[in-house]
Amino acid sequence: MKLLMKAALAAGLALSASQAYAQQTVKVGALYPFSGGLALLGDESFRGLEIAVEERNAAGGLNGKKIELVRGDAVDPNQAVGEARRLTSVDKVSVIFGTYSSSLALAATQVAQLAGVPYFELGAISDPITERGLKYVFRTNPTSKDFANRMVDSVIEAVAPALNVQPKDLKIGIIHEDSLYGQTVSSFQQARAKEKGLNVVETLPYSAKSVDLTPVILRLKSANVDVVLQTSYQNDTVLFFRQMKDQGFKPKAVIGAGGGYSTRDTAQAVGNENIEGALNVDFPQYRTNPQAAPGIDEFVKKYQAKYGIPPRSGHSLTNYMGANVFLDAMAASKDLKADSIREALLKVDIPMGKTATGWGVKFDEKGQNTRVSPFLMQWQGGELVTVFPPEAAVAKMKTGVGTN
Amino acid sequence: MTAKVIAPAETSQRNAGLLSRLTNPRVYCALIALSMLLIVPVLIDSTFVVHVFVTICIFGALSTAWNIVGGYAGQLSLGHTVFYGIGAYTTALLIQHVGLSPWLGMWAGAALSVLVGIGIGYPCFRLRGPFFSLATIAFLEVVRLLSIHFNGLTGGAAGLIVPLNLGWAWMIFENKINYLYIAFGLLLLTLIVSWAIRNSRLGFYLTAVREREDAALAAGVNNTGVKLKAVMISAALTSLVGSFHAMYMTFLEPATMFSLATSIEIAMFALIGGLGTVFGPLLGTVLVVPIAELARGWLGASANGLHGFVYGTVLIIITLTLPAGLVGTFGPRFMKLVDRLPGGGRQREDRVAPALRQITGETGKPILEARNLVMKFGGLTATDNVSITLKRGEILGIIGPNGAGKTTLFSQISGFLKPTAGTIGIVGPDGAMTSPASADEFARLGVGRTFQIVQPFGKLTVLENIMVGAFMRHPKVEDARAAALRVARLVGLEDIKDLEARNLPIGGLKRLEVARTLATEPSILLLDEVMAGQSQTDTQKMVNLIRAIRDTGVTVIAIEHNMQAIMSLSDRIVVIDSGRVIAEGNPQDVVKDRRVIEAYLGEDFVDAQGI
Amino acid sequence: MDVLIQLLLNGILLGSMYAIISVGLTLIFGIVRVVNFAHGEFLMIGMYAVYLLGAHLGLNPYVSIVPVVILLFVFGALVQRFVIQPLLGADEHIQIFATVGLSTALVNLALLVFGADLYSLTVPSARQAVSAGGYTMLVGQIIMFACAVALVAGLHFFMQTTALGRAIRATAQNRNAALLMGVRVDRIYVITFGLGAACVGLASALLIPLYPVTPTIGTYFVLTAFVIVVLGGMRSIYGAFVGALIIGIVDSLSGYYIAPDLKEVVYFAIFILILIFKPTGLFGFGRGTE
Repeated sequence: MKLLMKAALAAGLALSASQAYAQQTVKVGALYPFSGGLALLGDESFRGLEIAVEERNAAGGLNGKKIELVRGDAVDPNQAVGEARRLTSVDKVSVIFGTYSSSLALAATQVAQLAGVPYFELGAISDPITERGLKYVFRTNPTSKDFANRMVDSVIEAVAPALNVQPKDLKIGIIHEDSLYGQTVSSFQQARAKEKGLNVVETLPYSAKSVDLTPVILRLKSANVDVVLQTSYQNDTVLFFRQMKDQGFKPKAVIGAGGGYSTRDTAQAVGNENIEGALNVDFPQYRTNPQAAPGIDEFVKKYQAKYGIPPRSGHSLTNYMGANVFLDAMAASKDLKADSIREALLKVDIPMGKTATGWGVKFDEKGQNTRVSPFLMQWQGGELVTVFPPEAAVAKMKTGVGTN
Repeated sequence: MTAKVIAPAETSQRNAGLLSRLTNPRVYCALIALSMLLIVPVLIDSTFVVHVFVTICIFGALSTAWNIVGGYAGQLSLGHTVFYGIGAYTTALLIQHVGLSPWLGMWAGAALSVLVGIGIGYPCFRLRGPFFSLATIAFLEVVRLLSIHFNGLTGGAAGLIVPLNLGWAWMIFENKINYLYIAFGLLLLTLIVSWAIRNSRLGFYLTAVREREDAALAAGVNNTGVKLKAVMISAALTSLVGSFHAMYMTFLEPATMFSLATSIEIAMFALIGGLGTVFGPLLGTVLVVPIAELARGWLGASANGLHGFVYGTVLIIITLTLPAGLVGTFGPRFMKLVDRLPGGGRQREDRVAPALRQITGETGKPILEARNLVMKFGGLTATDNVSITLKRGEILGIIGPNGAGKTTLFSQISGFLKPTAGTIGIVGPDGAMTSPASADEFARLGVGRTFQIVQPFGKLTVLENIMVGAFMRHPKVEDARAAALRVARLVGLEDIKDLEARNLPIGGLKRLEVARTLATEPSILLLDEVMAGQSQTDTQKMVNLIRAIRDTGVTVIAIEHNMQAIMSLSDRIVVIDSGRVIAEGNPQDVVKDRRVIEAYLGEDFVDAQGI
Repeated sequence: MDVLIQLLLNGILLGSMYAIISVGLTLIFGIVRVVNFAHGEFLMIGMYAVYLLGAHLGLNPYVSIVPVVILLFVFGALVQRFVIQPLLGADEHIQIFATVGLSTALVNLALLVFGADLYSLTVPSARQAVSAGGYTMLVGQIIMFACAVALVAGLHFFMQTTALGRAIRATAQNRNAALLMGVRVDRIYVITFGLGAACVGLASALLIPLYPVTPTIGTYFVLTAFVIVVLGGMRSIYGAFVGALIIGIVDSLSGYYIAPDLKEVVYFAIFILILIFKPTGLFGFGRGTE
């Protein structure tokens, strides 16, 4: 029992020790999954925030105060609750940035809200994050509904015209991994497809950890699916493309919902020739027309200079863009109280095409940015290039998947 | 009138009992240490510290509840978050659809968990060791995958969000300390339940079942029944904690609520602290949770995966250096220190043993009838049409060469083996002939047996071993202890009553077998080679003991190889060879029987002797 | 019909991959009697090793089999000697937790060293599709199947004819009797554990051309492998082989005919039913309730 007391006291002392020097700097929390299965894109997201903060500090900080990033690592919702509590109470951060993963964001935002600390979401796409009416939760990026709608609309607006057929004549197959990400996006896809009168012939969930997607592919093949809408992580994207080729399944178009479709690793693992022509709806990536996304090239250069490799996916860019919006608002706010920041944020008004992601910014009462939409991109010659909407496009869309 | 007079005296006695308990250093030290879980976070007043302590309370409670099944009953469940998740989901769904307060919803969840616990436990309890663990993992995975698949009901992988309705009615608070009060309350509840089980008949029975299933059956324990009780209690408690944790996180998703990693973690805390002890699981939690939280704070920022690596490595080191857990390793030494504090080291007062069960019935009338028992193991016929009638009050000796089928016969008339053909009837307390279905029913009807190969509960003391038997007639712990002490005196085990049974020599173990069986206060006593391994004097003592037992009205059947002893003891002898009864009668006649001598010494000997 | 045959074919090839891993687990679970939750992580280590050999030394994965099998044998033997063996006398619960700790440590070590990125080695020859009568399979899968058969045959030969193999069988049947007969049981366990890990080494070299490696790749395989081992009757190498093929086919068919996200439900349900109603495994080779 003495052990119990010692452990408890040690925990308490250690935690209270770090509270001493806070005032010369502005502390901001960065809550991402830095370990566990989501670590890769969690880390990639964080890099965007990191660059934005360094940039700001190099330019004199936030109204003269240096910004200090405090990292919080969460793998599951209980840890997200814990880390959000730690950031708000021990480190006493002014605001929290996050989170990449939707389940972590859902848990952490509730904590931040109750603690009265603004929470800035830069990457998680689950709709309820900003639908619960939490006063201090803001999000710059589009939601899963935006993704789903853009994917379904792309079939009508881009794919069908390119194939010279009526959208209703295309057989659509929806496949998705069965965690939060896949399940949410696909349910919005189904709703949108129904609304637009498209012919969805298969809806197949599967586990992202699966080592064999052949049954899924055979189902699509048997149903003669023309267009596949896939919501997937990296591992299952790789598996899908490899096994699609093995089974000789050649749909007219494959559209991914970001995730595994957006990373270079995927293209390398699958082979550029096999992923050629795959469409992808996601946050803006790097081959976007700089006219529509001012600052994007500079960001890539800074990234390259800091980390020695080109960005691994667009997550860093979106986080960079969002972080800048929020940091600007914090600078404009009269103090760092939650209500003042909220007031400043609601005044932000940036037209479309004026940020590094090409989005505009205008928050609604719930804190969701209304001037966002994901772009449609395509793998062409080993690069992910923006093909839609036309003002952001750098290349023309092609049809077909794979070069063989 | 008398009742009125006695009542206040009883109350004051109880009050005195409570007071003397509180002045016991073991009790007050535990209470002080426990209250630290509440005092420390209140003093430090930081919501993160509160979070760490809420997490400690939650996992401490989960681990304590798990320990009832995993520790006491020895069933290593690695799918315990099934109950946690069911509690959480039931509560959240009831809030969402019916607007029911979580304070009520959590009980609905607990009830559902109990049902699921029975559903999983009943078929799986026959599995041993790792197979049980793997089956529980499989159940957990199935539930998790189904909860993702049927997203219409559960919200699927997208999860459920608990609406932020503040206040006690909804269990959601702006002031975090309230969470701690509830979490601490739940922890206290599970600890009290766990402590009560440990110190009750159920606790002894669970340990007995964990250690030796057969011996437990012979002591009248319904093995599956007590394990089911354990899993029901554990499931309900786990479920309550799950309901609260969902309110605390305000977000539920299948991956978290039905997490295998969490299931393993819960079990691990119990293991680190000490399996099967009351405070071990909590101790393990108190040690590991802060380490894990702090490691994430310190190491998590420096490099991805570093804290996980350190955590895993620490686990390996702990299992290697403290395989008995903290309590198992340091417990006894620590307790000695505690007992030196004021008020410590008191001895339990002896209590008057409760009255023996009265055996009624007319001497000489049949009490057990076995007719045409056939027992086949594959191609081998172990007993072939054996019929035996036992008369009340006699001592029947069964002899025969090795492998003749004596023990098989015993196992049949005590319910451990179901005969391939034939019937067994036993006269119950009401005087009617009945045929029980299982070994524990035989035992409760009054058929007590010992095992030829001794079956002690190795980790229990001699007295506790006997108590397991005594519980059958005396459900209260103090009564059972007193009754067991009486038996220990009778059998000559009183001097070594506090020794752990595994440290006994074979002679002592044989006597322990008899003692445990006697403690069940049987009307028919089946003794299987209890003289083996006893010294000359002890054999004589045993013979005298058996006679004395018979004189209290007990009917005795004894299998014995010690001819001298059995001949002097028995009223009647049955000789079995190759699964058949070859002779029956009083001892003097049987020894002269040609077939008996043949069976023991071979035909050649008989011929040579010219008998 | 066409689809059914393609699915069966696919299931058998998938099963042969499970077979190699499960045969290794059978040795460890059936003979050393340790529930090795780190089995999947052995696979992960093997795959990273094959990747490193391929990426930095240009070794073909099929050539890497030799060094990786040796590496995994040594690693397995060390784990047995320094982690499991000290715990053999302890409660079996403890051993489970030691392997859980090992698994956690190894996954995170991989995360620390390699990050969460996918690593894949391109082996065009293995990814070549072979078409026969309209059904396709990959060269790498056919090699995997051949290796699975060869492994089972090789282990059979080893167990039946060599003195070491006989000692292993004796130990598996009755540890104490083997001890009395002068078998050095501890050493047998070290070797068996090493052999079990070496099987996984073989699997990892065969898997690399087909699957990219990540720190968490092993977690998917470990539960499946346990299902197969129990299905096969726990101690039987042939049981594990046939069990693996069955699970492969179940995986493939239920993914198509029921739902891809429920295929694990199907084989976990089979697993539970087998445990409850036929604890000796499908073919009665083992004893699940002892």
